[in-house]
Amino acid sequence: MAEHAVQVNPALELPEHASRTRHGVLLEEYSYDDAIVRKFLLVTVVWGLVAFLVGLLAALQLVVPSVIAYTTASGARPFAFLSILSSVEFLTFGRLRPLHTNAAIFAFAGNAIFAAIYYSTQRLCKTRMWSDTLSNLHFWGWQLIILSAALTLPLGITQGKEYAELEWPIDLLIAVVWLGFFGTNFFMTLKVRRERHMYVALWFYIATIVTVTMLHVVNSLAIPAGLFKSYSVYAGVQDAMIQWWYGHNAVAFFLTTPFLGLMYYFMPKAAERPVYSYRLSIVHFWSLVFIYIWAGPHHLHYTALPAWASTLGMLFSVMLWMPSWGGGINGLLTLRGAWHKLSDDPVLKFFVVGITFYMMSTFEGPMLSVKSVNMLSHYTDWTIAHVHGGTLGWNGFMTFGMIYWMAPRLFQTKLYSKKLAEWHFWVGTLGILLYVIPIYVAGITQGLMWRAFDQNGTLAYPEFIETVTKLMPFYWIRVVGGTLFFVGAIMLGYNVLRTWMSRPAVYEVPVLRTPPIQPLEVRRPVFHSRLHANTEFGHAGDVFIQNVQNAWWHRVLEAFPLRFVFWAIVAVAIGSLLELIPMFAIRSNVPTIASVQPYTPLELAGRDIYVAEGCYNCHSQMIRPIWAETKRYGEYSKPGEFVYDHPFQWGSRRIGPDLAREGGIRSNLWHVLHLQDPRQASPQSIMPAYPHLLSQNINFDEIQTHVRAQAMIGVPYGEAVKDGRSQELARAQALSISQDIAKSEGPKDLDNKKIVALVAYLQRLGTDIAKPAPDATGAPTQPAQSQDSKGGAKPNLSRKD
Amino acid sequence: MNRIGDSPDFVPSDPLTDHEYDGIREFDNPTPGWWYAFFGATVVFSFCYLLLFHFSVAGWTSEDTWADDQRAEFKRVFGAVGQLKPDDDTIRAQMDNPQFMTIAKATFLGNCTACHGRDGGGLVGVNLCDDNYKNVKHISDIYKVITEGANGGAMPSWKRAFSDNERVILASYVASLRGTKPSAGKGPEGDPIAPWPAAKPK
Repeated sequence: MAEHAVQVNPALELPEHASRTRHGVLLEEYSYDDAIVRKFLLVTVVWGLVAFLVGLLAALQLVVPSVIAYTTASGARPFAFLSILSSVEFLTFGRLRPLHTNAAIFAFAGNAIFAAIYYSTQRLCKTRMWSDTLSNLHFWGWQLIILSAALTLPLGITQGKEYAELEWPIDLLIAVVWLGFFGTNFFMTLKVRRERHMYVALWFYIATIVTVTMLHVVNSLAIPAGLFKSYSVYAGVQDAMIQWWYGHNAVAFFLTTPFLGLMYYFMPKAAERPVYSYRLSIVHFWSLVFIYIWAGPHHLHYTALPAWASTLGMLFSVMLWMPSWGGGINGLLTLRGAWHKLSDDPVLKFFVVGITFYMMSTFEGPMLSVKSVNMLSHYTDWTIAHVHGGTLGWNGFMTFGMIYWMAPRLFQTKLYSKKLAEWHFWVGTLGILLYVIPIYVAGITQGLMWRAFDQNGTLAYPEFIETVTKLMPFYWIRVVGGTLFFVGAIMLGYNVLRTWMSRPAVYEVPVLRTPPIQPLEVRRPVFHSRLHANTEFGHAGDVFIQNVQNAWWHRVLEAFPLRFVFWAIVAVAIGSLLELIPMFAIRSNVPTIASVQPYTPLELAGRDIYVAEGCYNCHSQMIRPIWAETKRYGEYSKPGEFVYDHPFQWGSRRIGPDLAREGGIRSNLWHVLHLQDPRQASPQSIMPAYPHLLSQNINFDEIQTHVRAQAMIGVPYGEAVKDGRSQELARAQALSISQDIAKSEGPKDLDNKKIVALVAYLQRLGTDIAKPAPDATGAPTQPAQSQDSKGGAKPNLSRKD
Repeated sequence: MNRIGDSPDFVPSDPLTDHEYDGIREFDNPTPGWWYAFFGATVVFSFCYLLLFHFSVAGWTSEDTWADDQRAEFKRVFGAVGQLKPDDDTIRAQMDNPQFMTIAKATFLGNCTACHGRDGGGLVGVNLCDDNYKNVKHISDIYKVITEGANGGAMPSWKRAFSDNERVILASYVASLRGTKPSAGKGPEGDPIAPWPAAKPK
């Protein structure tokens, strides 16, 4: 084995950096690279503050329009200055929210797990990281990714897929930094380790690295249409499936498995107690990684996703409950005999509350994925409360606990103030509660209002805006909760800063001496059947069970990283392949509708604006087959309607109403006035104003490139791909829309303004299904479904039964 | 069992494994029995659910459920009156049906408010409360405008959005707005027309 190339042979000369004990045992000298951990730790704090601040801004954006509208008796509007929050083009909610989620997930949590992995892996493997160069390339590469995200997202440069918004050049950089720098460095460190077996924390790190690579690469496949623009190669239903396979497993393998690894290292360290159960860690690790990967489709219940996928998503989520809790109970029970330490150790306080939130979230997750619960919760703030319990409680508090534990050790001094850390804990906990409780209430309230009928069988709240204004008090409490959480993080920042300031002039770098990796010593135990009178088969079965329970076989697996990686890949590949392959291979999953045609070049340009502005952050484009929903929005969405949607824009939250059938139900002028300032059309609206769309020009030259890129991924654009033809078509359509707006006494000369493209797109939404199928051009046609009442099949009124 | 306040030195006496990593040890406790019980229960539930809802007579789809709801709902609302004719008399008559007017009002609030205002005073769309109309001479013309749209699409067609009956009672509701006082009425557009005919005695 390459891993123990250094043989114990006293006759040979000592290798460099080695010595011997008195008994002649070879000892290798090494030291840990803590400088890289210090770097990751500091940026974790900094990016955490940024992520929380941006979140707070986003929370404020949802409430300030209600204050701006406040007018005193004398007609003055004392809060009008606040409109700056929702009228700056680069900081509208649709652009800020992706910035917030990306910063929280990839900058804050990302750097936190890197700090944890670099600190613990070296110690668990009794070796320095394989390459300091790769460590630093990883660090700086990742910060570069974060900076590019912070620059591009406010500029509206986005792929329009949740938690995967970053454009293709950044996506490439992520792949290189993640696998090329981080992954290589990590796996090579495993290879040169001096500890024969891998501790459970490392298993979780392995699962994280391989799975995130797979998710990122598959979900981000896109065809570039310029340096800052690309289109997902997947469309509609299939894109939705891929996206939520990715999205849900970003939660699983970026926010759960690395944090479980972190917990397995830092919890027993802080508690100074052995981990509760080794065998539980085996069972819950493998069940977790195998089952989690299936759960994605629960984000798409009742949508145009085929029912079988939806059911798989639900059932695997339900089965995921115990595998998730396995980690929670292993963490909490590690505190047996050490609970008294909580009273004066802020680190353990953070860990206990963090794990508690993990267990609450992982119970709530399976519950929300049950279809009938999801019917109520989907598109509401319930989801927002759920994820914030997870991120603020689990990821946030585990990170804070880890930082307070590591800071004095890394900066080789005392923590500046334990009291301040205690304050952080209480202020932060109160902040989380004041965030999630009102948002749970808001989510359930809005969900119930959307589906409420009065005694006449009509919607009790037919105006969407009623269901928004109702939430304002809860949104205000959220702002208070978010502020508290942010204040807590400032306390952390100050504490870390002061601790850092009292560091020694030169860090001590202890030199450690360890024998090289030893050969495998696990022996297969011999078991005898415990049964008395039984068949051969029965005895064999009992011996098998004892073998499995003894876990010696897993002990062997832990000694061979490559084998372990192989089985981890198998575990996550099974669910992925079994769900994704049928989704692409079986045509009946997406029945075609002949009348559904590609967007015109101008509508495509409008769609690009829709994506760039992040409209999908507040508006869904997916009407579910639920009576209250078709009553409100119209005919439910069919899978065949989205075949040209690269990427899909179904959305996941309705802060504003669904737009799937927006086309044709309002005049062009209405859209112009509404986008210019939504309060002109709906006085209580909390939507940002988009006056810049009326002044900025459409880039007609780009349209041709974009149409060609779409054609390359299979959208039948026909003659529009010819040089200049897309431009001509776009200009003609823009002219006719702008003339209509001018005729209705709206703003004039809009024919080259962005707003016209966006209006063209909005007016197209959901209208194709009503059109007659185009004349057969050889393609098999299926008549557009002849339905002409809200929702679907024409009701048979004459039926007297 | 140990509780808060136990001796700080207390370490559970469970058997340990022989592993040690950077000072971290692991107990050799078995996975709790209730963990297996709950896990097994979720697996059994999943099998039953799959069989029941995808491979048995109890199978359902959200589309079927929706269609059932729709049939039940139309029967409940319009079952007694059957198909309403979109003529002057019928539309005029429904104005005096309080149940239909409540239903139509909800339709109006959910779909027409954006352009015509909550109380019909007009925003981008015309004022529906005054005596001036652009495309309406008779009460049944309201139904035509709702059904076909007007003004080159500025007023869209609602033919697909609502059933025939829903459009009839919506026309009645819009007619009933005439003569009401909106909070902020838009100026008159179009020509004044004759008052609606008196309701015919039943």
